[in-house]
Amino acid sequence: MELQTKDLYNPSMADIVAVEELTETEKRFEIQLPGDTALKHKPGQFVEVSIFGFGEAPISICSSPTKRSTTFDLTIRKTGRLTDKIHLLTAGSKVGIRGPFGNGFNASDFEGKDILFIAGGIGLAPLKSMIDYTIDKRDDFKRIIIVYGTKKPSEILFPSEIKKWQERDDVEFYMTVDHADADWKGNVGVITTLIPPLKLDEENTVAAVVGPPVMYKFTAMALKAKRLPDKNIFMSLERRMKCGVGKCGHCQINNSYVCQDGPVYNYLRVKELEEAI
Amino acid sequence: MHLKNPLTLQNKGYVFFDSETMKTFISFLMNQAELIAAHKKGESSYVFRAAENVDEVILDYPRTIQPLKKFFLPPRETLLNFNLEENDFDVPDMETKKRIFFGVHSYELQAIHILDYNFKRGNPESNYLKKREESLFIGISYTPDEYHFGKSVGLEIEKTEGMCLYIEPMEAGYYMFVVDDNGLKLLTEFSSETVALKTETIKPQPKEFQKKIKYHYNRLPQVFDKVYDSSVWKKVSEKCVGCGTCNLLCPTCYCFDVRDEIELDTINGKRERFWDGCMLNTFAEAAGGENFRDKLHNRTRHRLFRKFKYITEHSGELSCVGCGRCTSFCPANISIIDIINNLIEEVSLNS
Ligand code: SF4
Ligand code: SF4
Ligand code: FES
Repeated sequence: MELQTKDLYNPSMADIVAVEELTETEKRFEIQLPGDTALKHKPGQFVEVSIFGFGEAPISICSSPTKRSTTFDLTIRKTGRLTDKIHLLTAGSKVGIRGPFGNGFNASDFEGKDILFIAGGIGLAPLKSMIDYTIDKRDDFKRIIIVYGTKKPSEILFPSEIKKWQERDDVEFYMTVDHADADWKGNVGVITTLIPPLKLDEENTVAAVVGPPVMYKFTAMALKAKRLPDKNIFMSLERRMKCGVGKCGHCQINNSYVCQDGPVYNYLRVKELEEAI
Repeated sequence: MHLKNPLTLQNKGYVFFDSETMKTFISFLMNQAELIAAHKKGESSYVFRAAENVDEVILDYPRTIQPLKKFFLPPRETLLNFNLEENDFDVPDMETKKRIFFGVHSYELQAIHILDYNFKRGNPESNYLKKREESLFIGISYTPDEYHFGKSVGLEIEKTEGMCLYIEPMEAGYYMFVVDDNGLKLLTEFSSETVALKTETIKPQPKEFQKKIKYHYNRLPQVFDKVYDSSVWKKVSEKCVGCGTCNLLCPTCYCFDVRDEIELDTINGKRERFWDGCMLNTFAEAAGGENFRDKLHNRTRHRLFRKFKYITEHSGELSCVGCGRCTSFCPANISIIDIINNLIEEVSLNS
């Protein structure tokens, strides 16, 4: 058996170099691999983050490889024992990192096109890696339209980046909250209410959609109503990736291993996968 | 789609062993390597374990509870040992151990072959593949009981592929068929002289399978193309309790979960993997709490599709080897043969 086998399950012990509190439940961690090694990721890929004794979880990378070569960012929501523990960590602590895993977004699918980013809730984190990428390579893309919805104003991620996007005249930014508070002056309503008013050149627009599971069907319907062809829609799907390397079986949607074939799927493929959305 | 060709029943000839010679041969093998064989456990159950005493080795058994996969993909395996004080880890030694698996049935070999495929594919996994090195398999024929259906999935009892020797019991002893050079080498070393192999045709008593799938196995992928929305899934899942036994004991199921355990000293611990199964409710749960296969009938469908379609699409082979474990150990008496035959009936009615 002359096979090149790898130590698939050994994490690299990486340094947390900065922590930023984004919301009550989300923090951004800037991570540096040992020996300043570059992660060499694509936008839309994920890593497995672990803390000994607490386990491992798949987390999307939220920074673009065009930004910094030796560190990358993870936005982590508190959802359980492991992520609660990660939230207690400060700069100087170490976490285990395996990856990058998954296919990520293919820049060539978007180049020369109008790009419509649709992010629901924490879906903005994985999309931000691609948003940053397209802004950093601005000339490779035509319009950049960002549509973002959260439950309430206090859950808005990346307010400083959002401010920059709003200030740029080559980025169109729209956002909404499901439930407003006293200070909120913007749109109120679910994210799909932002889609009908958009003026789109449907044949030349490519959409990238990431959000909670309930969002995909309604977003797809709204995009169909705008006559966007199925092949122009990409979705990044969340599953319980345990191993990240196509072995443990946890991430399967029908015959597709999300950690290998996904998490980014073209909508034509999503429609074939009955369990997808 | 056309499945890979069924196996050839090949051998280079045979020698004859009487019962005493067989015992001496087993002792000889026990000196050569760790010998894994079937042993009795309780009244009518059997397990594979390392042989300590020739007289305890069982040659005639229907099936063991756990399949051979437990030696290559253990039910619980340490991936890393970690130290919380140093926040560091090391990887346990993965020494390859010479092992001879004695008296295994053809479906068991085919199951190992399927596991090999999955652990080599894409990212080859050393944990499994290291343990697979240096294994020899000595096969044996078996008498099908009410749960075996090997022939229906292309696995005749005498399928010798992957074995080095194959044993056919007869009245006064055993025919020892030589399948490959490793087998010949073992026999030569055992008799310490050149082995004269007989090649005259012998006719062992024909053994019939009591259970059959109604279609030839080549047609099963087409059946599974049509039954995704079948009413059969709900019907067969009514009695299912979602215990996952059918996954855990299946020789070709390899899904696993990973968990960290901290020792009582609160400093050391392990990252371990455990057998997991897609019939268990939590299997497809995501971080946000969504369960993408929360209905039993969806999980049953997924289990069967993994055996007859999803993996078959790229491996070209069925992932069910007809051992009957999922059926004989199911607490709800759910029969995989009945599920498949119900699906076939539905497809033939609708076409
Ligand atoms: S062994 Fe039987 S009861 Fe248990 S999950 Fe499988 S089919 Fe259901
Ligand atoms: S599905 Fe059942 S009969 Fe088929 S290999 Fe697995 S346990 Fe054996
Ligand atoms: S995460 Fe383990 S197979 Fe995909």
